[in-house]
Amino acid sequence: MTDQRRKALVSAVIVLVIGLHGIPMVLSAERGTLWPFMVYVMYKNSRDAPVQVNQRRILAVTASGIRDTVTPERLGLSITVLDQQYHRPLMNGDSSVVPGLLERLNQGRTDPYVELDLVSETYTVTDTGLSRRENPVVTFRAPEVTD
Amino acid sequence: MHLAICRIVAVGAQLAWFYPNLDEHTNLLRKNQEFVEPQLITRVLAAVFSRDAFFNPATFTVLYWATFAFGILALAGLFTRPSLLLFAAGTWIFVAHLFSYGDRHHTEALFAIFLMLLVIAPSGERLSLDAALRRRRTGIAGAETSELALWPLKLTLVLLGLSYLSAGTAKMIQSGLRWMNGYTLQGHVLADALSRGHPAGVWLAQQHTLAVLLSVFTIVFELFFWVALVVPRRWVPGFLLVALMFQVGLWVTGGYDFFQHMVLLGLLLLFLEPSWWQERVRGRG
Repeated sequence: MTDQRRKALVSAVIVLVIGLHGIPMVLSAERGTLWPFMVYVMYKNSRDAPVQVNQRRILAVTASGIRDTVTPERLGLSITVLDQQYHRPLMNGDSSVVPGLLERLNQGRTDPYVELDLVSETYTVTDTGLSRRENPVVTFRAPEVTD
Repeated sequence: MHLAICRIVAVGAQLAWFYPNLDEHTNLLRKNQEFVEPQLITRVLAAVFSRDAFFNPATFTVLYWATFAFGILALAGLFTRPSLLLFAAGTWIFVAHLFSYGDRHHTEALFAIFLMLLVIAPSGERLSLDAALRRRRTGIAGAETSELALWPLKLTLVLLGLSYLSAGTAKMIQSGLRWMNGYTLQGHVLADALSRGHPAGVWLAQQHTLAVLLSVFTIVFELFFWVALVVPRRWVPGFLLVALMFQVGLWVTGGYDFFQHMVLLGLLLLFLEPSWWQERVRGRG
């Protein structure tokens, strides 16, 4: 390949790579699926006082009392999907996601989970420092389990 | 020579530091019959080979080790271009697969593109087995310099400028000046520092005035990093140093692990405009 052709190829690649970064800006529906060509729109939302954060986790409990934290690895899901599909609905008291979550957790288990405990803490920045408040544990039972 | 060092550092970092976790991929493959939001690369592979034929633990285990082997060849510079191409392609497939389950991050993108740019650039002309074999066969050493050696670094600088501008613009469009009220940064940092165990971020989240100042710095930096593309070249290392400190600061406070950006910024700092350190080294010599 001659030097001139090499330079032409390089120029084409440069234009292509920069141009491909424009596609997710134009095609908003495909914005999240064109990796590695992305828009960098993270942490764009503003917040107001007070500075307050909820930390939450789900504990899955078997009939024999074994308690395991529901993690993305245990579910085979990403942290984002775990948060959007399960953490947030449960925080809002939406129990409709419980059967699906238990079904997913119990795949291949001989000692199935029968209860989900939503454990959360609220951290607030105050004038005197960081305050931590434990919220009441909210329990969700499998539909077929009765007291 | 500089581009060859870039190849060795980038491939070495990808192999030793950023290489995919096979267990994570096989776990996702075993526990999911469908993708949540498949990346374009994933969709193309599923269309060409069928989902079940390609996206299964056995194929991914083979792909994992094959990509690793091509990475070793690319590192040593043996069959450099094809090795780099297959290594970069394998890397792209793994990241695209990971991001096909409803989650995606920005950390890998520019680094993955840089790996692919090294395929086209003459990154195997020096410090490679290819060059050694060629010298032994023909007695001709590789060229000391090449007009085509610098463009991957320059293009990476452009892409970094675009990515920072995209981040800053999104903040301004969505939130305007309110993004710099201090509470925004405090809230974001507190949430991530707590979940990732970064005490410096928990401390920062309690410093309102500092959070306001760092918010203003973040917006100014993100909106104007691209100026590095047009200022006199001797000023560019200053911009890169600020960017590197910005990324390190994000990691220390909130655990934002843009290590690939740090590697790229380090390479740009050393080799895009190397006179700043070469003059110092010569001065001491």
